[in-house]
Amino acid sequence: MSTGVSGGPEISREPTRSESSESLNEPCPPELSMVKKEQVDAFTVVGAGYKSHEIRVKRPGLLRSLYGKPVFSIMILSVIVLGCLFSESFINHDPTQFYLAHLSEPPNGEFFFGTDSLGRDIYSIIWRGGRISIFVGLFSACVATLVGVTYGCVAGMASKVVDDGMMRAVEMMQSIPFLLTVLLIVSITGKQNIASISLVIGGASWFGLARIVRGEVRQIRGSEYVLAARCMGANFPHIMRKHLIPNFVSAIMFVVISSVSLSMSMESTLSFLGFGLPPDVLSWGGMLALADRALLLNTWWVIVVPGLFLVVTLLCVTGVGNHFRRETNKRPSNL
Amino acid sequence: MNVKTISAKVFSHAAPDKAKRAGVFERLPAVAAYVGKKTLVFLFMMFVLSVIVFYVSRLTPGDPLEAFYGGATQSMTVEELDAARARLGLDGPVTRQYLKWAGNVLQGDFGMSLRHKRPVLSVVRPLIGNTLILGGAAYVLVFLLAVILALFCARFEDSLADRLICKIGAAAYYIPAFWLGVVLVLLFSVNLKWLPSSGAYDIGKAKDIANRARHMVLPLVVMVASHLWYYAYMIRNKLLDEVRRDYVLLARSKGLGKTRILLAHCLRNVLPTIVNIMAISIPHVLSGTYIAESVFNYPGIGSLAVSSAKYHDYNLLMLMVLLTGVLVIVSSLLAQAINEAIDPRMKTRMELD
Repeated sequence: MSTGVSGGPEISREPTRSESSESLNEPCPPELSMVKKEQVDAFTVVGAGYKSHEIRVKRPGLLRSLYGKPVFSIMILSVIVLGCLFSESFINHDPTQFYLAHLSEPPNGEFFFGTDSLGRDIYSIIWRGGRISIFVGLFSACVATLVGVTYGCVAGMASKVVDDGMMRAVEMMQSIPFLLTVLLIVSITGKQNIASISLVIGGASWFGLARIVRGEVRQIRGSEYVLAARCMGANFPHIMRKHLIPNFVSAIMFVVISSVSLSMSMESTLSFLGFGLPPDVLSWGGMLALADRALLLNTWWVIVVPGLFLVVTLLCVTGVGNHFRRETNKRPSNL
Repeated sequence: MNVKTISAKVFSHAAPDKAKRAGVFERLPAVAAYVGKKTLVFLFMMFVLSVIVFYVSRLTPGDPLEAFYGGATQSMTVEELDAARARLGLDGPVTRQYLKWAGNVLQGDFGMSLRHKRPVLSVVRPLIGNTLILGGAAYVLVFLLAVILALFCARFEDSLADRLICKIGAAAYYIPAFWLGVVLVLLFSVNLKWLPSSGAYDIGKAKDIANRARHMVLPLVVMVASHLWYYAYMIRNKLLDEVRRDYVLLARSKGLGKTRILLAHCLRNVLPTIVNIMAISIPHVLSGTYIAESVFNYPGIGSLAVSSAKYHDYNLLMLMVLLTGVLVIVSSLLAQAINEAIDPRMKTRMELD
């Protein structure tokens, strides 16, 4: 018995004289004439029992399928995120309360991570403030991605003159130090809230992304399917959504994810320098803004504990992002 | 042809044919036109930058007079306030203010610092040296270590050491610089008392190099840690691309050692890229002084920029932005010039344009 390459049944034609003319005369649906042997005897299914044969694929075990994936990072990250989201159920103090009888207390049984110089419970603030920090990171990364991808697509699809102009502008903005740009915008916009600081950070960090996207789009724009879509009258948003983005999404994944951690880091830096969220909004950066005073009092837990949470989160996010980093060079080394 | 003659051809860095190159004097008009064009571009960019920053800074909420006089503005009469505005160049429409400011700048007068109540230049001048020392030292260290690290990682690609360095380097890069600085102060200054926590030198010891060096250790560590891996990784990847070229295979088959190939051939080919990165990254590394100086209260341009942004000190902030702008543009022009000097291909490309 021979089986076809495609795995389907092989159909051999055995026409009998009387019936062949009949089958030509009365048209019947092709799939009926092919498969149902009783009705039309023109075809014979040779590999009749083919459907009962199942190829046994050994499913990879749990450990094997997790190999090479950033399991460790994802686990820690999900603990932190879930802890922040459901902090109400396990924090033992009111994070906004000033416990004036317990100023700058080292970690103990009542205040797990100690209290800061204002008498606030660090353990509670960390879980509550983490929400704001993570939200700012995600939101500014979204802003940066939205602006960067759109800008890059427009520049990539535009004519050479427009593209040159747009890219020159981006290069100029990118060569100005990131911190100076943010400082300028922040000092201009005055008092910050959660949304505005995310917009500022996101708005100052999309340049690199735009350049990558533009480079990818330049490669794709000449391909036949884009041409076909344009011939059929597809507008720019449609092409961008259906043809461009799916093609470069893997290339920008790493940049997008690491921009989350860079934004969180920038938020805490701004808070430390005194440009961040107002002191009554609890965030990790806001806690670290007290670091200067903590140095004078030599209260290490005020500096180290929130900082460790921040750094561990940043590293885990980066670890996840690294998984999406495209390996540029897989060829063996000549060295 | 045996391997030896081929390799002799490939590896001999023969002196370029002198006859084919135009003399310096013949190229002088082209060079002059090139420099002139770059200067024009530079002036235009500075103009655009100053206009944008000037207009935008005037939109800020918060009265700059309050930065100058503090609470005293409340008790001043309207006439006194107007007179003060006129004296500080804060009266009239923004366009006239800008023209007046630009005219003064062309004569070397950058205006008064609203916070320090002195001419801006006299505020900045004593601090520039401090920042240049710190930034310059960090810059040299970053690239020296980056090249060494990159060479090491490329030589032992995918070994345990390489992977370990990659992990640690990336981690150091993502740790917020200010937090690293604060932790270092906590450890080495507050508790171990090995190193001073702030300032550029102890009082009366401005000329004492050892004293300055001691003050610079921690800021340097912070700046190097936050920039090193970014550049080391870039150079490492360039080297790994280079290692996959055919000439490396040839050199190997000729019997050259790995380290020798890496140092004598691969590094040499990557060098233009490194120099280019170095030129472009001058403002980037110097911007690291913002955080390092603020954390360690180091008297320099970086901490001055942060405080001037905090107190709406417009004239000072403008000077900071212009200084940074000059630095950015000059370094990018420098990068182009170096590129064209090193790599003849770039020059022909330029002439074709």
